[in-house]
Amino acid sequence: MNEKTELRIIGKPIPRHDAWEKAFGLTCYAADFSLPGMLYGKVLRSNYPSARILSVNTSRAERLKGVKAVLTAKDVPRNESVTRFGQTHVVGGGFEGLYRVLADRKVHFMGEAVALVAAEAEEIAEKALELIRVDYEPLPGIFDPIEAMKPDAPLVQEGRPNIITHYEVVKGDVKMGFSEADIIVENTYRVPFVDHAYLEPESGMAWIDEDGVITIRVSTQVIEHFRGIADVLNLPHNRVRVIGTYVGGGFGGKEDITVEAFLALLTYKTGRPVKLTYTREESILSHSKRHPYVMIYKTGAKKDGRLTALEAKLVSDAGAYVYLSPWVLLYSMVNAAGPYRIPHVKVDGYTVLTNNTFTSANRGFGAPQVCFAYESQMDELARRTGLEPEKIRMMNYLEKGEALATGQILERHVALQETTEKVIEALEERTLPSGQMRIGRGIASGMTSYGRMVFLHDTSRSHVSIEMDGSVTIRAGIQDIGGGQASSLCQITAEILGVPIEDIKIYIADTALTPFAGTTTATRQLYMSGNATLMAALEVRKVLVHKAAGMLGIDPESLDLVDREVIDKEGTGKSLPLKEVVRACASDGVPLYHVALFKAPFRNIAQFERIEGQVFPDFTFGTHGAEVAVDEETGRIQVLKLISSFDVGRAINRLSVEGQIEGGAIYGMGYSLTEEVILNQGITMTPSFSEYLLPTSMDVPDVETILIESGDGVGPFGAKGVGEPSVCSVAPAIANAVFNAIGVRIYDLPLTPEKIVKALKEKKDMG
Amino acid sequence: MEYIRPQNLKEILHLMKQWKKKATLIAGGTNVIPDLRARAIRPEVLIDISQLKGLSYIKEDKKKIHIGALTTVSELASSKIIQKWAPLLSEAANQLGNPLVRNRATIAGNLADGSPAADTAVPLLALEAIIVIQGGKEKQVPIHQFFVGPNQTVLKRDEMIKEVIVPKCNPNAKTAYFKLGLRNSMAVSVVSIAVLMEMEKTFCKKARIGCGAVAPKPIRAYRIEEMLENHELTERLLRACCETIGKEISPISDIRASKEYRTEMASVLLKRVMKRVTQ
Amino acid sequence: MKVSKTYPLKLNVNGEWKKAEVTPRETLLHVMRERLSHTEVKEGCGKGDCGACAVLLDGKPVNACLTLALQADGQRVVTLKGIGTPDKPHPLQESFIKKGAIQCGFCSAGMIVTAKGLLDKNPKPSREEIGKAISGNLCRCTGYKKIIEAIEEAALKLRRTKNDRR
Repeated sequence: MNEKTELRIIGKPIPRHDAWEKAFGLTCYAADFSLPGMLYGKVLRSNYPSARILSVNTSRAERLKGVKAVLTAKDVPRNESVTRFGQTHVVGGGFEGLYRVLADRKVHFMGEAVALVAAEAEEIAEKALELIRVDYEPLPGIFDPIEAMKPDAPLVQEGRPNIITHYEVVKGDVKMGFSEADIIVENTYRVPFVDHAYLEPESGMAWIDEDGVITIRVSTQVIEHFRGIADVLNLPHNRVRVIGTYVGGGFGGKEDITVEAFLALLTYKTGRPVKLTYTREESILSHSKRHPYVMIYKTGAKKDGRLTALEAKLVSDAGAYVYLSPWVLLYSMVNAAGPYRIPHVKVDGYTVLTNNTFTSANRGFGAPQVCFAYESQMDELARRTGLEPEKIRMMNYLEKGEALATGQILERHVALQETTEKVIEALEERTLPSGQMRIGRGIASGMTSYGRMVFLHDTSRSHVSIEMDGSVTIRAGIQDIGGGQASSLCQITAEILGVPIEDIKIYIADTALTPFAGTTTATRQLYMSGNATLMAALEVRKVLVHKAAGMLGIDPESLDLVDREVIDKEGTGKSLPLKEVVRACASDGVPLYHVALFKAPFRNIAQFERIEGQVFPDFTFGTHGAEVAVDEETGRIQVLKLISSFDVGRAINRLSVEGQIEGGAIYGMGYSLTEEVILNQGITMTPSFSEYLLPTSMDVPDVETILIESGDGVGPFGAKGVGEPSVCSVAPAIANAVFNAIGVRIYDLPLTPEKIVKALKEKKDMG
Repeated sequence: MEYIRPQNLKEILHLMKQWKKKATLIAGGTNVIPDLRARAIRPEVLIDISQLKGLSYIKEDKKKIHIGALTTVSELASSKIIQKWAPLLSEAANQLGNPLVRNRATIAGNLADGSPAADTAVPLLALEAIIVIQGGKEKQVPIHQFFVGPNQTVLKRDEMIKEVIVPKCNPNAKTAYFKLGLRNSMAVSVVSIAVLMEMEKTFCKKARIGCGAVAPKPIRAYRIEEMLENHELTERLLRACCETIGKEISPISDIRASKEYRTEMASVLLKRVMKRVTQ
Repeated sequence: MKVSKTYPLKLNVNGEWKKAEVTPRETLLHVMRERLSHTEVKEGCGKGDCGACAVLLDGKPVNACLTLALQADGQRVVTLKGIGTPDKPHPLQESFIKKGAIQCGFCSAGMIVTAKGLLDKNPKPSREEIGKAISGNLCRCTGYKKIIEAIEEAALKLRRTKNDRR
C-alpha cells in the first residue's frame, strides 16, 4: 500500500465502537462488575500527615460478624518494593521510588493506607474500619518543598534525603547571555496541586480463578502493574492477571497502582472475590496529584526581541512518596526553555519530599507547569520590547533541524508559525467591553512530547488476525481511558485490510491474553500501538494479497483490498471476495495472523544529573489563544473564546482528535481558573467536588479547534499524539489575556477572583 | 434506623414529639442525605415528608404569596406567581446549586438547614417573608428572626416549617439580586445580596436588603436600610452605603474566600444592586 | 452489628415494577446499582456534585444519590437504559454517538438522562438553555462542546419526526 493510496477510513470522523455501548449503558466499568460470594473491601487511612504508629489493634474489627479479613503491613508478604510503570528496562538513576503497600511504623501523608478490611457487606466493612484502633504519635511534618530542602529539615522518609533528584540543563553560558541582553525579565511562578477528577473513582474487583491465578479486573492505565502486584504477594508474575476495563477517565491518575494491590491481598487472604471502590473523598484524599512547582525564571532578550538567555530554577513538591516525580521533573527540564531558540540556557530542577499528598502523573506531565512560566515570560518580553506577543514568539520559535537546549534535534516539522497565525486569525474581532468587564486576549504556545523517554526502551505489541468469514480480530494490551485508544487501532486495521470498521473486533487490556502494549500514558498509544497494529495489519494484508495474486493471476502490486474484496486496481474488474482468499490461505496452512512488535528509538542516557541529547521520540506543538472578560471589581474571569491550534501530524479520527483538544482546553481552563487541591499543613481542605471546582457547562466557551496536518509525526500515517499536548499552553494564554485586559499579571495559578482584586489594588496603590 | 412516612401534618408533629433528638426530618434530602452519608448525623428514625400531600403549593391572595414547605426550588424558579410578585426569589432559586438539585431541594429544607449562604434566605429577607412554623401550635416568625447562627434556626426539635408567606412586592418596587460564586453553576455563594426598594422618583420610601455568606447567618443590612429609607438617593449617599456595609457584616475566611475579600465584595455587590434598582 | 431494619420498596424502573427490601439509609443510587442491577446509573461523587447518577424521577432529572430509595417508593424511575436500546435508539443516544459527545462515557448516562428531561419539557432549547440544563452534570473529557451539539441535534431530529407525524 503506497503513500498515495486514497484513505477510506483514516481521517474520517467515525463514531467510536465503544461510544455505542456507552450510549446505551452497556459498558461494564470496574465498579459495575460483581461475582457471587464477593466481599467488599475498605481501606483505613491515616488521619495525620506525619505520625508514628505506636500500635494497631484490629481484634475488635476481626470479631465483627461478617468481617473476613483485616490486614496490616505485617500481613503483606512483601510490603516494600519499587515503583515501576510498565517499563521492562531497568533504568536506575533514581527513577524507581519506594512502593509501600501499607504504612508500617509511620504515616507520611494524610490518607496513607494503614489497614485493609474485607467483609460480607459494605456497611460491615465500614463499621470494621471504625473498630480498628490505631495509636498515633503525631510528629512534626514538613509541607513546603523549599523548607524541606534545608539541611536541618525533618526527613519525610527515614534513611533518605528529602531531595529526591537534582537535574540540570546547560547550554552555552547564561552569564554571557544575560550580558548580551537589553531586556531581562525575572519572576517567580507558582502552580498548585491539582486533582485529575476523572468522573469514575478508582475501582476494581479481584478473584482467584479456577487455576489459582489472582485475577484483577480494574480501572487502570497500566495493566502491566501485574508484575509489581505479584511481587507484593511474592508470587511468580504469571500467577497474577490484570484485566483492564474501559476506564472512566484517567488523565495520569490511574497510572500508579491504585486498588490493585489491596484487592490482590484481600482476595489472596480470603479466597473470595473482593470488590473495592473508592468514594470521591477517598479518591481526592489519597491518590496522586499534579505537582505544584515553584519556578524562578529569568529571560533575556535583545531590543529587537531575539532571546539571548534563559535561566530557571524549578522546585517540585513530590509529596510523601517518590512515584513518578523524577520522571515528571525530567519532562519539565526538557520543556523548561520552551520551543524557543535561546543561545544560553541553564535550568536547575529539584523534586522534594514533603508530608503532602504524593504527586505523580497528571495530563501534561511536567510540561504545563513550565509552560505557564516561560509563556508568561515571553509575554512580558513582548510588552517590554513593544512587539506584538505573536511577533516575538514567531521570531524565536525553533524550526525543524534545530536543537532544544538539551541538544535534542527536532527532526520533524515544527508547526508553531502556522498554529500561531491560525490562532490570531481565529480570535477575530475583539469583544467590546461593557460595564466593569474588561476584555483581553492572550496567546501561548507549547510543546509536549508524545511517546515515552527513549531510555525506557519502550515497546508495544499488537496481534491482528482474520477469521474465516473475513471478520478481523485485534488483540492488544492497551488500556482505553476514553481517548479512543481502542477504536483508533480498529480504524487503522480497517483501512489496511479493506474492511468496514464494523467487521473489526478488538480485545484489549488483558495481561493473560493480549500482547503487551505498554501503558496508556505519555500520549503514547496511538504512536506505539498504532504503529504496532499498522505493522501487524500490513503483514496480514501481505499474505492475503500474495494469495489473491496467485488465484487471480495478477501482479500483487496491482491489487487492493476494498470493501471486503480483493480488487484489481487497474480496473480489469477482476476481484475476489476477501473471505474466499482467507479460506484459500487457511487450507494452505498460511498463518492468518501476525503479532508485531514496535520499538521506539532506544537511547541510553549518559548521566541523569545533566539532561542531554535525545530524550523523546518527538513532540507535538501547538498554540492556544484566549479572550477573557475580567470583572475589575469582583475579579471574576469569564473565558469568552478559547482557540486551540495543533499540528496533529495526521488526524486518524477527526472526532476523537477534536474531542481530545476540546477537553484538553477545558482541562487547562480549570487549571487556570478554579482548580486547586488546597492543603493546609498536609490536610486536604478540598475534600469533594463541592470544594474542588471543575468547570461546568456554564463556565466554558465553545472551544475552537484548528488542526494542522503536517503528516510529519512518528505515529502511524504520520500522526502525532495530542492527548496531553492539548492542555499545555492554556493557562499562560489565559493569564496573558488577563494581563491584556487589566494590566496586571498573576504569577500563581489558579487565577482566583481574589488574587485579581488584590493585584489590581496593589497596582492602584503603586499609582 | 427506622423509617416512617407520615400521612399528615398531625402525624408528623406527633412523631417529632415522640422521637425528639433521635429523629431527622427529611424532605428533598439534598442536605440530609450527604450528612447521613458522611455520618455527620446518626438519627434513629427518619421521618420522610417528601411525599406528603398538600404541602407543595404556591398560592396567592390579595397581598401575599403562600409557599408550601415542600415546594421545590425548581418550582419556585418557574412559578409565574413568584416571577410576577417576588422576582427576587425566582432569580435566587434559579441560581441555587444545580438543576438536578433544584428538582429535589425544597424551600423549607433550604431555610431549615440554616446555612449562612442559603440561597433562598437572602431574597426572602429582603421580601420580609414570614415563616409559618408548626409545632404544638402554629406560629409565625419573621424571617429575620428565624436564623440564629451557622446551621442554627429557631426551629425546635418538635417543630417544622409549614409554609413561607411572602408579601407581594409593590408593583412599583424595584428589586435586584446578585450572587457571587466561584463558578457559574454549582457554586456556593461567596457573597449574595438582594435588595427591594420602593421609590418616588429619586426618593427612597422603603429599602430592604438581605445578605448571604457575610455573617454567621443570612442577615438584613439594617443600617444601610436606614441610611436609604426616607432619603433622597444621591451618588454620595450610595457611596456612603457601600462604605458602611463593611461595618454591618462579619464574614469569615474559608477556602472559598477571605473575610477581606468578602467584605469588599459586599460593597461591590451592594453598589451593583443599587445601580440596578435606581436605573 | 445491629442489623438495619429494612422496608419494602416498589419502583417502576423503565416501565417495569421492581421490588426490593431496603434500609432507610440506602439511596436510590445504591438500590439501583446494588439491588436492581441497574449499573448504568453511575456513582461519581455520592453527594450531588457531579450528576453522573442522574435518573428521571417522575419525569424530572434528579441525582439518584440525593434521593433515598424509600423516597422514590411507588414512583417511576427512568435510567439511560429506559431511554433507548440498541434496537430502538433514542435520537439523543444516536447524536451522542455520532457527534463524538462520548469519550470515557462515565458521565454519559447522567448527561443523556438530564438532556431527556430537558427535551421533554422544552423541545426547542437554545444552546444557552442546554448549557444551563446540564450544568449539574460534570464532564471531564469533552469540554461540553460536543455534548451541547449532540443535544441540539437530537432536539432538531425529535422536532422533525414530530412534525412528520402530523
